Amino acid sequence: MNTNPHDQTRGDSAPFFHGAEPAPLSCNEAASLCMKAARGAGMSWGMAEEAGFSASWLVSHGIDGPSYLRAHLERADGKAWEDLCPTITPATWRNAADHAVCPIILGATMCDYADLPQGPAPDAVIQLGPVSMPILLVPFLAELARKNALKITLVGADGTICIEDSAAWLDVAARSLTAQQLDLTLSVKAAQPHKSSVPTTSKSCTTAATIAALNTLAMRTTVPASEASRASAGSTLSDND
Amino acid sequence: MSVTKLNKTSEAARFMRPASEVMRLKRMGSGHPTRLSFLRILLRRLRSSDWQVDRPVWNVNANGVGHGVYRVKSDERTYSLVAFAHDLPDDMRSDRVIATAWDATFTLFDGDPTPDDIARLADNVPYQEAGRVSPKELTLARANRSVRLFKHVVDALSEGRQPDTNEINAVRYLMRTTAVYGSGKFGASDRADIAQRPELAAPFQVEMLTVWLIRAFTVDIVEHMAAEKGGARAVKLDRDTRRSLGVGNSTGLGMAPFIVRHPVLLNNWMIAREEALARVRAQMDADPDAILGLKDAHAAAILNAVAWHSEHPVQVRKLHDLRRDLDLIASQLDTFDWAVTLPWNELWLWGEKTLTYEGQEALLALMLEPHGALIDDLADHMGADEAACFRINGAMSVADLRGVLENDYAWALAIDFTTPENIARFWYVSEEKLEPRLGERATEDGATLEQPLCIARLVAELYVTVQDYDETKPVAALLLAHPEHRYALRRVQITKNHPYAEVHDNLIAANMLPVDLLRCKLAYFGASQFDPRSDRWVRINLFAGAPFPDEIKTECMG
Repeated sequence: MNTNPHDQTRGDSAPFFHGAEPAPLSCNEAASLCMKAARGAGMSWGMAEEAGFSASWLVSHGIDGPSYLRAHLERADGKAWEDLCPTITPATWRNAADHAVCPIILGATMCDYADLPQGPAPDAVIQLGPVSMPILLVPFLAELARKNALKITLVGADGTICIEDSAAWLDVAARSLTAQQLDLTLSVKAAQPHKSSVPTTSKSCTTAATIAALNTLAMRTTVPASEASRASAGSTLSDND
Repeated sequence: MSVTKLNKTSEAARFMRPASEVMRLKRMGSGHPTRLSFLRILLRRLRSSDWQVDRPVWNVNANGVGHGVYRVKSDERTYSLVAFAHDLPDDMRSDRVIATAWDATFTLFDGDPTPDDIARLADNVPYQEAGRVSPKELTLARANRSVRLFKHVVDALSEGRQPDTNEINAVRYLMRTTAVYGSGKFGASDRADIAQRPELAAPFQVEMLTVWLIRAFTVDIVEHMAAEKGGARAVKLDRDTRRSLGVGNSTGLGMAPFIVRHPVLLNNWMIAREEALARVRAQMDADPDAILGLKDAHAAAILNAVAWHSEHPVQVRKLHDLRRDLDLIASQLDTFDWAVTLPWNELWLWGEKTLTYEGQEALLALMLEPHGALIDDLADHMGADEAACFRINGAMSVADLRGVLENDYAWALAIDFTTPENIARFWYVSEEKLEPRLGERATEDGATLEQPLCIARLVAELYVTVQDYDETKPVAALLLAHPEHRYALRRVQITKNHPYAEVHDNLIAANMLPVDLLRCKLAYFGASQFDPRSDRWVRINLFAGAPFPDEIKTECMG
């Protein structure tokens, strides 16, 4: 595989940043890279799309979602679905073996259950147990809160975060939900309809190290070169005409 | 025509062609540009609103190396194409995405670039994928000369004569683009951040504006080089000849996955065109001006079919069909009785009975052409808010899911995925070049890394699971037990509300032609003279015959 950083011949959207320089990705690039990396780390394609959604939502709200996703994927890499998913009962959504739940699976499933009895309906209190990199759960909960007009509160050992119709909570979330793992309880109340969440004007940058790490995972979804593969790309006709 | 005579959507509904007819690869692969194509939408806007076009910077030397800026300006917004012209050795000229240098490189800048912006862009845009642009840039593009025609035109103009008509007609563009990137690629502005602007709401408008301005650049640079070479003897390109030139474009397999990955967008493109056809068919009578417009469009289509060349056997056959069908349409129009009730519908039904897919889809484009007042508003509905359709409705019952599968995906469930010819191919991304490719399952490695592009097969696998699952449960429970179906289930829910979202064919079949997917998308762009170079690689022409910046305000065109 050609890893020359100035190889222009790769149809690659991931930029070649170095060292500690800021690495701004567009939301489209963040979503695309994170989706591929999540797939490379073992998620199904549909769940990998959810990872792309979460990371790019955070980028558009000024939080370095790709770096948090990287931290989570490096922990979850190679683990079985059963060790990452919640087991759903009306009052607890903990993992059956009490492993840390994957925040992408948890968030997407919570949205799936939005209008079901075991789901996050008004007055529900749900024990989530340990959640890996919980900031990645936030985009799902913010979307859920807006869609179903809910006030969603996350309670952990270090404090409480209330997802509501203002931007201030996001700063708190960016500080307190970025631990590698937190034991959380979620509670839900009915609220006034939210306005749509307003992305901050400045998107978050990520880091060169994050991009390199996510790229390494993403490359697992690609197929090594062969003569047959080179031959079937493009046309045998000359372009210098 | 009075407004009351314009058929409303509800009256046109019975004339809509069903997805089972429209969404077949063979028909999609016969698509023609229409007045709802994206470059036509752009040209209508540029003509009708207060946009002014100029070229504030031209800093190019005698060898054709330097940069220029083309500016499109309204009271509220300015867009600037920054064009870098290079001196490329012949042996480096390739149309593939794997090229490393080009004759010219471009970016569409959001506003008026300062000298600092230009300097920053000069350090990045010429390197394309290995450079980096910023949210101030909307597109990144590059183009290569048509070596034969470019040199011929420079030489002729420098000697004070016009280029040879045969040479012009054999190519019909001076340069061809080999990539036009938008939507946040390489650090450019995200589509979501600009989609609210009225002039950019329709699909691919920044890309089309980029190419339209590149076309002006291609003529400016040959005239510049001819003047440098010939001095006082040199002449400018004859304006009719100039008008006939478009911008070539070379496109490979990378474009094919796009229309599979964007089901809501595909639906909106298709439904707008189908609604347009239905509105035309639903008219009780024919306006005399519209009949004249149809005949003019037909005459132009004949000329286009004459000019359209290809050496690819599949396309040669299709061109033969098209030319024959256009003659049949001519005979039909000579004797057609426009006094019947629903005359446009009569014409259409005749076409469906008589013409090949090539001819039918060409007739569609002809019938839309004189009906701008009736259908142009549909252009406002061709964009898509994909994020709004992303969330899965987990409360849907498995029984309902099964119903949708059996109704909307009967075409997919009917495919036997146990036969070798029906699973002959697999789509993958190449590690070496990160480009999408299509492999042969029986002989190539890598099928375990298959991309999820054969929706029919994924849906068939979902159906197997659904048949053994408790029907009273919600799909949320099914997904928790079977996360591998999340991708397919999202599609199925999208298709429930977007009937034209899926290509109703097996995209891994042995006989599938990727160029059919390319042609469908390129027809929506407005591309003409579709010329496959293989079954997965194609050249086209954009904007041939369209006005140049100095012409657009002074003439009437649809």
